[in-house]
Amino acid sequence: MKILIAVSSKEFSTPTLNMGMRVAKAFGAKATIVDVGEKINPFSLKEVGIARERMDSWDIDRPGVDVLEWAFEFLAQNKFIERNEIESGFPKNTLIERDGRRSEVFLKGTVCDDVSLILRNGEIIEELIDEVQTEGYDVTIIGKSKNSKKDYELSQFIDSSIFIVNNNDFNQNYKILLPVDDSPGMKKAVKYSARIAQAFKIGIDLITVSKSNKIHQKNKQALTWAEKFLRRCNIDFKSTLEKGETVEAITRKAGANHIIIMGSSSSGALKTFIAGSKPLRVLKNSNSPILIVK
Amino acid sequence: MFGPSNQLLNNLLFWISRKKWLIATFFVSITIFYLPTPEGLTPEAHRTLIIVITALILIISESIPIPAVAILILIMEVILGVDTADGVASSFMSDAVFFIMGSLMLAVAIVHQGLDKHLALTIIAFTGNKTWKISFGFVAVSAIMASFIGEHTVAAMMLPVALSLIKNSGIGLDKATRLSTLLLFSIAYGCALGSIGTPSGGGRNVIMIGYLAEFGLGDISYLDWIKFAYPMLLLEIPLAFGILWYTFTPERRIMDSAVRKLKIQVTREGPLNNNQKLSIVIFFIVFFGWIFLSPKIGLGIVALSGVFLYLSFRLIEWNDIATRMNWGIVILFGSAISLGIQMKETGAALWIADSLLNYFQTIVNDMTIIRWGFSVVLCSIMTNLLSNAATVAVLGPIVLDMGGDPIIMGMATSVASAFAYLTIVASPTCMIIHSTGLVRSKDFFKAGWKLFLSSIVLLFLISFIYWPTLT
Repeated sequence: MKILIAVSSKEFSTPTLNMGMRVAKAFGAKATIVDVGEKINPFSLKEVGIARERMDSWDIDRPGVDVLEWAFEFLAQNKFIERNEIESGFPKNTLIERDGRRSEVFLKGTVCDDVSLILRNGEIIEELIDEVQTEGYDVTIIGKSKNSKKDYELSQFIDSSIFIVNNNDFNQNYKILLPVDDSPGMKKAVKYSARIAQAFKIGIDLITVSKSNKIHQKNKQALTWAEKFLRRCNIDFKSTLEKGETVEAITRKAGANHIIIMGSSSSGALKTFIAGSKPLRVLKNSNSPILIVK
Repeated sequence: MFGPSNQLLNNLLFWISRKKWLIATFFVSITIFYLPTPEGLTPEAHRTLIIVITALILIISESIPIPAVAILILIMEVILGVDTADGVASSFMSDAVFFIMGSLMLAVAIVHQGLDKHLALTIIAFTGNKTWKISFGFVAVSAIMASFIGEHTVAAMMLPVALSLIKNSGIGLDKATRLSTLLLFSIAYGCALGSIGTPSGGGRNVIMIGYLAEFGLGDISYLDWIKFAYPMLLLEIPLAFGILWYTFTPERRIMDSAVRKLKIQVTREGPLNNNQKLSIVIFFIVFFGWIFLSPKIGLGIVALSGVFLYLSFRLIEWNDIATRMNWGIVILFGSAISLGIQMKETGAALWIADSLLNYFQTIVNDMTIIRWGFSVVLCSIMTNLLSNAATVAVLGPIVLDMGGDPIIMGMATSVASAFAYLTIVASPTCMIIHSTGLVRSKDFFKAGWKLFLSSIVLLFLISFIYWPTLT
């Protein structure tokens, strides 16, 4: 399994990196930490490249290296990488550049598989989508942006599950909120929830939403399957039926102490593009961390 | 739910969401194509204007790569019947394109020599450790050097000098401060204003010289250009420094320890080696070639001769030039010049010039002011939105068709295209300093508008008081 963790700075990305590495640890996954720097105008791409070569010759770090250095220190402090890697320090001289806009350094992981640190330059959504398409990641983890349109577009178009880390307070006792229905992504969402619940040692609130007091037959079957699966994994869970409109009910129930995990929409790409989808609307309206499983 | 076909559709929708401007451009072009040709415009000129509008939208929106826009211009010229394939090919290549290609190669060769550390030592020897002197020195040295070897070459060489000083002053390179902003803008604005000084300061200057000669409106030699433009450059240096100092007055007025550390760092480098000495000699040969030989053999051939010498003496390998050079810009220059020539030949430039003059005549009576105002104001605004060379290539034929003294009009347009102070995308130098992460987008406007307006006023005075004495 491969996980992509997008960071931007120590100031804003500590919760994202923390959550990302904990998820990578839960899945024993290969983690890649990426910092996407500012887009360089195509008129000036080569000229900026030449200026950066001169900076290298003066031993001046190019922008973004400081972010990777901070990520390295975080990995070292939390012992996510091997001791010999920690002792030799951040290997910025081994940042290998590819295609002029992507530099990478490899580290040997401990609790999870290998860890790579990547620098890219460009428009963030395009760069992350390209990284996922080229390298084939299963989950992308990113902090919630001030610009909600960016999160929305990224969640819609990226070809991996996406975890938007929002307002994470690690002193808070989180639970997982797992809405269950008959959508095709539901089973995968339940499996992801189980792994995360086991790793984080937290419980799961299973909910089914109905406009009336009666639960739909297909949703009932899905709920039974989920309960059986979680019971078999020995996970503490509680099932409830929420009445009302789905998005509003999930957002209300999530409050500030849940990580929402949802399967992606069963609607087609065109319908999602035009009208949106339930997971995307939950993402827009909720202040909780949310993992949309594709 | 995300099966292969759905994912394909999703990818297509993503492409559409990113390429809105490309799709809009397609519909705009088709619409203009089917609109009746305006009175006074030939069908060829009508189609040329479609190409101009298409190219401008695509360049500004960045919806496709710049070389793709350049290639599209050439394709459209042939498909829309503006010219034959051979005609387009011959208008694509000229001495101006040779010059741009040669000067970009020279830039790579010069930067490759690693002269920046010696340059740092020279600057510091002159300026000492006072921050204002260092900032003034950066503006002056960047401007004077950029006037001969091109702005982005100088920016690439000066950038590590400034960053070293900032780093050595203990501020750190992870956040913008007034000192870092001041020093980096001193380089960027110094390079931008320096590019007006000589034809080799910027490719657009050579484009204008090429247009004046091609349209039979006048010949400007390398030295003539210096006579016209250098006084403006020398006046702009203190002006730019004053504005930058006033806008970004730094916390530290003395940079004693930073300068000391820099001196130690660069003296370790030792004296100039033989290759570095030879590369300076070759540049001077090129410079004297531009002054004395270019009237006979052209600026482009002189620049290419310099590249030939650098390669022959193995001061740089071809592979370094091939990988580091911005070939896309060469293709864009060629296409933009080709489009400019078509605008002139089809009468599209004259039609726009007449329409604009008629319109503005209803507001201001003085034709001289209208012509000057149009060329300078429009050019300086456009240069902040797209490449300054593309601006001159497109506006040049229109401005030269407006009447008045063509040399003054051409010079004013070229000089105004250097006023790329307001945005990051305006020029490679702005992008180079922004790419350090130490300059915020809003800082460009903060200092830029003051320099932009005062440069226009200065250009007005030079155009109407000094230049008429030279023509």
